Amino acid sequence: MIETASLTQPPLALREVSKRYGSILALDRVSLALEQGEFFGLLGPNGAGKTTFMSLVAGIRSPDSGQILLFDQPFEHRRLDQRKLLGFVPQSIALYEDLDAVENLRLFGRLYGLRGRLLEERIGEGLRAVQLFDRRASAVKTFSGGMRRRLNILASILHRPRLLLCDEPTVGVDPQSRNAIFEYLEDLNRDGMTIVYSTHYMEEATRLCSRIGIIDHGKVLALGTLDELLGELPASEQIRVARNETTAGSIAELRHFGEWAETQEAFVLSPSPEMRLSEFFAALERLRLSYRLVEVERPTLEDLFLHLTGNSLRDS
Amino acid sequence: MRQTLVLLEKEFRLFAKDRTAISLTFLVPAVLIYIFGHVFGINRTESGPTGIPIAVVKQVDEAHANTADAIIAALDREKSFRVLRTSKDASGIEHSLTEPEVRRMLTDGDLRFALIFPEQTNASLGIRVRFLNNPQNEIETQTATGLVQKTVFTSVPQAIFQSLQEQGRRFVGSAAFEKFDHDLAVTIARTFGGDPAEIEKQIRAGDFGLSQLTTNDSGEASNFLDQLVKIDSEQVGVREVKNPQATRSVGGWAMMFLLFALSGAATSLFDEKKAGMYQRLLAAPVRRTHILWSKYLFGVILGLIQLVVLFIAGHFLYGIDIMSNFGNLLLVCLAAAIACVAFGMLLAAVAPTSAAASGLGTFLILTMSAIGGAWFPTSFMPEFIQHLSRLTIVYWAMDGFLRVLYNGAGMLAILPGVAILLGMSALVTLVSIWRFKRGQIFD
Repeated sequence: MIETASLTQPPLALREVSKRYGSILALDRVSLALEQGEFFGLLGPNGAGKTTFMSLVAGIRSPDSGQILLFDQPFEHRRLDQRKLLGFVPQSIALYEDLDAVENLRLFGRLYGLRGRLLEERIGEGLRAVQLFDRRASAVKTFSGGMRRRLNILASILHRPRLLLCDEPTVGVDPQSRNAIFEYLEDLNRDGMTIVYSTHYMEEATRLCSRIGIIDHGKVLALGTLDELLGELPASEQIRVARNETTAGSIAELRHFGEWAETQEAFVLSPSPEMRLSEFFAALERLRLSYRLVEVERPTLEDLFLHLTGNSLRDS
Repeated sequence: MRQTLVLLEKEFRLFAKDRTAISLTFLVPAVLIYIFGHVFGINRTESGPTGIPIAVVKQVDEAHANTADAIIAALDREKSFRVLRTSKDASGIEHSLTEPEVRRMLTDGDLRFALIFPEQTNASLGIRVRFLNNPQNEIETQTATGLVQKTVFTSVPQAIFQSLQEQGRRFVGSAAFEKFDHDLAVTIARTFGGDPAEIEKQIRAGDFGLSQLTTNDSGEASNFLDQLVKIDSEQVGVREVKNPQATRSVGGWAMMFLLFALSGAATSLFDEKKAGMYQRLLAAPVRRTHILWSKYLFGVILGLIQLVVLFIAGHFLYGIDIMSNFGNLLLVCLAAAIACVAFGMLLAAVAPTSAAASGLGTFLILTMSAIGGAWFPTSFMPEFIQHLSRLTIVYWAMDGFLRVLYNGAGMLAILPGVAILLGMSALVTLVSIWRFKRGQIFD
C-alpha cells in the first residue's frame, strides 16, 4: 500500500503536533501540510524547534501529541516500510569516516533494501551527480567539508525517497560547495522529489523554497510563499536609516512617517500608507542628514521575523 | 611565570572535572595495590593463600583413627585450607565423602586437593596418607602441597604418641599406665631437670617434643618423620599438560584483552552518537534493537575469533594442547565472549559518556582480572575476595578454560560454568536493555 502511494496524496501533514523535553516545549501544536513536489523551507533561529520537527517527521522520535501523516497515512514509529518513502539528511555529517564513499553508500543503500546491480548503478549515478565519482574509493576522512556534505546528501537519496528532509545541510560549508548543493537539491526537486529544508539562513530559504514556514520557540509563526509572507508586513518597502550618533539624535523627528524598528545597524521605517517620499527626503534635508545614510529596500524574511518576534534571526 | 601558573591552574581544573582521569589516577591503582597486597601478604599479618578447599576421606582402622583425626584437626586450624568432610546427595542427605566421589570431583575440576587416609596395610606405628591433587593451577598446587606436608608432619608425631598412650592405657590398664607415665616423668626430671608434673602432663598429651623436628631440617629428623608418615602424592583428573603455566596464562591474558577489546567496541556506541549516525540510521528502516544486536553479534564473533586465535597462538608458541578438546574449548570461548560483550554493553548503557565508559571499563576489567584468577590463583586472596571473584565472568571463564585444557573435561562437566556465564550475560543484558530504554544514547 505504501509503495503505491498516490502522487496526489500530500506527502506530509502535521496535525497539532507537540513535543516536550522535560520543561522545554520544543514543538507547540504545529500543523501544516505539504504539497507534492514542494520545496518547503523551515526557517528559524537556532533552538527554534527545526531539528525537533525534522526528527519527528523522520521518525527518530515520537510526538507527545498530535498526528503526523505520511502520504495520507498515519506515520507509525514502528512501521519500517514507511521509512522507505523518506530520505533524511541529518545536520551532522553522518558518514563512517574510515570507510570510502562507495562503502558508505553501499551500507546505507542496503539498509533501504537496494541490492546488487541496481544499488551499484545508483551509487555510480549519484557519485557522478555530486562530482565525487573520481574520489569514490577514498576514505571519507580525506574529503573536504563540501565533499562530505554532498556525500551526506547522496547517502540519503540513493533509495529515491518521495520526501526528502534536509536538516540544515549546508552548515559550515563554503559558498562554492553550498551553491553546488543548492543546484543538486534543485535538480532533485525538479525531478519531483518533495523537499523539506530547515535553515536559519533566510538567503537559503529565499533562494530555494517555494513555500516557507517561519518557526520560533516551537511554534510556526507564519506559513506561505515568499510573496505571501512578505505581504504580511505592514509595508511592502522599508527605508533603512544607518545608525550613528547623528541619526540617533534626529530619528525622533521622523517618527510620524510610519512604524520604526531598530536593529544594531539601522533604524528601519515601515512607511505609513499616506507617507510621501518627497516629504520624507525634505525632512532629511531639514535635519541635515545625508541621503547616503538612507536606503530603500524590499522587505526580507529577516524583516518579517523581526516583525513577528521582535528579534532578528541571528539575535534569537 | 604568571602565565605558567594560570595554565597550571587550568590543568588542575580540567583534571578535577574529569572523573575518568581521577579514577585511573587514584582509584584503579589503589584497588590493584590492595589486591596485590593481599596476594603478596604485604597488608596482612599472615601471608599465603586462604580457604583452599581440601577434601578428607577417612578409611583407617581404629588404631590409626586418632592420628587421622589429629591431622584433620590440624588442617582445620590451618587458615590456608577449608576442610570438606561431607557432601549432599541428590535428595539433600549429607554423608561423609568417599574416595570415588572425591576422585570424580577432582577429575571434573570441582575440587583440586584431597587427603585420603586409607586402610593401613600393616600395624606399624606410623601412618600412610594419599594426597590427591588436580594441578590445573601450578602455583597453587605447589603451595598447597607444601602446606599439607607442613601440617601433617607437625601434627603426626604428637598424634602418634598420643595414640600410643591410649593404646598402652587400654593394654595394661589405666592405673598401671598412669604409674608408668609418672615414674617416667620423675626419672626424666631427675636426670635432665624440670618439673615432674609438667613433664608428666606433656607425656600424657603425647608431646615428646617431636613436633619440633619438623622445623629441624637435619637429615636425622627427616628420616625419623619419614618413618612415621608416608605421603603418597597422586595427580588426578589431569592430562599430560606440556606447559601448564602457559596454559593458564594464555587463558587469563586472553580474557583480559577480550574484555578490553569488547568494552572498546561497545563504547563505539558513543562515537556513533557523537557523529550523529543514529539520526541517519533511525530515520532509515532500522530499529534501536537492530543497532544493539549488530553490536552484540559483532562482539561475540570478534570475541570468539580473538580467543581462538590467542589459544592457537598459545598452541604454536607454548605447545598448549587445544586440539584434543577443541569442541568444548570453543563452547567455553563462546560463553566467555557472550559474557564479555554483555559486560561491554552494560558499560555503554550505564556510562554517560565514552570517556566515563572507558574509565569505568579499565577499572572493572583490571579488578575482575585480578580477583577472577586471570593473573594469579584466587586462593592467594582473602576469602571474602574469593567469594567476590565468583561474581566475575573472568572467574567462570578461567574455570572453564582450565577444566577443558587441564582436565580434558567433557561437555557435562563444563556445562554448569557455561550456564553461569550465560546466566550472568542474560542478567547483565536485561539491565543494559532497561538502561538503554531509559538512557539517551539514541536521542
